[in-house]
Amino acid sequence: MNAVLALAPRFQRAGGRDARVTTGLAITAFAVTTGLTLSVVGGLMGFTTRAQVPVPEGQGDDAGVYVILAWIAVVLLVVPLITLAGAAARLGVARRDARLATLRLLGATPREVVGLTVTETAWQGLVGAVLGIVLYLVLLPVCALLPFQGTTFSVAELWVGWEGLAIALVAVPLLAALSGAVSLRRVSVSPLGVARRETPKKMTWLRVVVAVVGIGVFMVISAVAGSLGATAAAALIGAMAVGFATLNAVGPWVLGIVGKVQLRRATTPARLLLAARRLLDDPKAAWRVVGGLGLAGFVAGALAVLPSIVAVDMSDDPQGAILMDDLVTGAMVTLVVAFLLAAVSAGIAQAANVLDRRREIALQNLAGTPVELHDSVRRRAVLVPLLFVAVGSAMTALVMFYPLLGLAAVSSPQGPLMLVAFLTGGCALVFAATETSRPLLRSVLADTVVRAD
Amino acid sequence: MNTATPRLSARGLVKRFGTTTALAGVDVDLADGESLAVMGPSGSGKSTLLHCLAGILLPDAGTVALDGREVGGLSDRERSLLRRRRYGFVFQFGQLLSELPAIENVALPAMLLGTPRREATDLAGRWLGSLGLAGMEGRRPGELSGGQAQRVAVARALITGPAVVFADEPTGALDQATGHDVMRILTETTKAAGASLVVVTHDAQVADWCDRRIEVRDGLVRHAEATR
Repeated sequence: MNAVLALAPRFQRAGGRDARVTTGLAITAFAVTTGLTLSVVGGLMGFTTRAQVPVPEGQGDDAGVYVILAWIAVVLLVVPLITLAGAAARLGVARRDARLATLRLLGATPREVVGLTVTETAWQGLVGAVLGIVLYLVLLPVCALLPFQGTTFSVAELWVGWEGLAIALVAVPLLAALSGAVSLRRVSVSPLGVARRETPKKMTWLRVVVAVVGIGVFMVISAVAGSLGATAAAALIGAMAVGFATLNAVGPWVLGIVGKVQLRRATTPARLLLAARRLLDDPKAAWRVVGGLGLAGFVAGALAVLPSIVAVDMSDDPQGAILMDDLVTGAMVTLVVAFLLAAVSAGIAQAANVLDRRREIALQNLAGTPVELHDSVRRRAVLVPLLFVAVGSAMTALVMFYPLLGLAAVSSPQGPLMLVAFLTGGCALVFAATETSRPLLRSVLADTVVRAD
Repeated sequence: MNTATPRLSARGLVKRFGTTTALAGVDVDLADGESLAVMGPSGSGKSTLLHCLAGILLPDAGTVALDGREVGGLSDRERSLLRRRRYGFVFQFGQLLSELPAIENVALPAMLLGTPRREATDLAGRWLGSLGLAGMEGRRPGELSGGQAQRVAVARALITGPAVVFADEPTGALDQATGHDVMRILTETTKAAGASLVVVTHDAQVADWCDRRIEVRDGLVRHAEATR
């Protein structure tokens, strides 16, 4: 075995408490991602099976609609799921980069450095996948309690099969390794690349152009799809995924602008300056904390139309009434999962931020910087983008879905009310998740012996 | 005013970590405007002594007084305030906030004491200029050399007009020539600002820049002498 790669397990063990926390967080993220993805795929398979063999009798007409709706839910959740997995692979990146840069200085080749990271993240991905399968098995009977098409699912309907589990065991470590390798391009380029922190490259207007084009394409396709009927559903789902991805592309750029405005307004309290600089320094890192909520807000904005749809009187169409009820159930499940994912992503990204800044925070504390300042900067650096992203993404969804749904989302008071309720709840949930890094910050500050690494 | 009162005074300092005794009864006095080098091999207790003198750690026994006032009875919060208002710090490296440009790193302690941003950055700009860093105000810590970063740290330690500056191995990450340059700037500007200076180092040449040196071994002051 290559001598450098043989070091991988040694690094895992030797990292001390911080490394254990980082590894634990990464494994948790991979486990949540795997567990929820399997549950979502299980749901999709359940609806697909029912479409092939309608259960109970007489529900066959709507079965195809259910499959399309399930696909929409999968598309809505897949980006937050991938975001969470990506965040997991980047955990503790500053610490790991510093270690790998040292190895590069000592003569390790770029390939060996990438190999070391790939081994480390793939191992975390594998453990996460195993725990995720356990989570899926625990959730299975809970998901089976959800009533759809007039009856609850059986566990067998939601079972992804042994093949599904095997795919998870291979795919999750693979994806983990891939995003780990992508996250350390800089180290591979230069042994000094990570030892220095330089003025970040400005993000360009190109991101906005991409976003506007993405949203435009979606609106055009959805307008055309409306006239073509359900046959264009697949194209619509694809376009929605594109629109979703554009939100991810433009989010960090918008947060950078927010940071600039904050910086200009920061006149006296140091916390305003620090929060603005932190946002401006790495808007992508800030987006990793709040981005999950952005995507969840987008889902909530898209689903705000529901109260108007289900308000249609269905007393003479029992089958239609079941479909309406199921729409609400499905939407709620999708929203709850999206917001839970957002909270887990935010909590993990925030903990990673604290660990990556461990040394500078601890030294500032020794020099008399008040603990409250770190707390309030951390809180402010999350809260402002959080509110901005939640409202912004919901508005984007309302605009994007206008050709498809018109003003249905705001035509009845229930739509906006539901949207506001979910966004408020989501913000509170994400904020609470970021507060879980507080004990970690305290333990970092409790260290009077500040180690170089 | 009693001019005989030392600026900083420690008596009978004892500090233990588990079964290890880091300080076993240390007495230190530091006069107004005086610079003191604390020397000793690794693990001798010199950094623990600096931490106790600066109120970062509380000794298990003994007292530390600033301008005759005992600081051991202060709460954690009060000691943080004391460090912010009366002390300045220069560490080996990594003390500058990576997201702030040099000028804002220097301005930060003044802003923490309530100075408005514009006023604080003006003052910081003057400090950077006087330390030969004019034109580098907008650079991030990662865009500065080791010596430049330490000069920024010196400016940051002095911007609030501290009574005492504590430097823990300030040249430990620098080459010899740059290290001497940083020590010259540290000792000269600290003296010009009217502050006292405590430098922890294991390098005798670095210690030569200070007025006086003490050597700590096994938690006790074994040797003290004037260097110039």
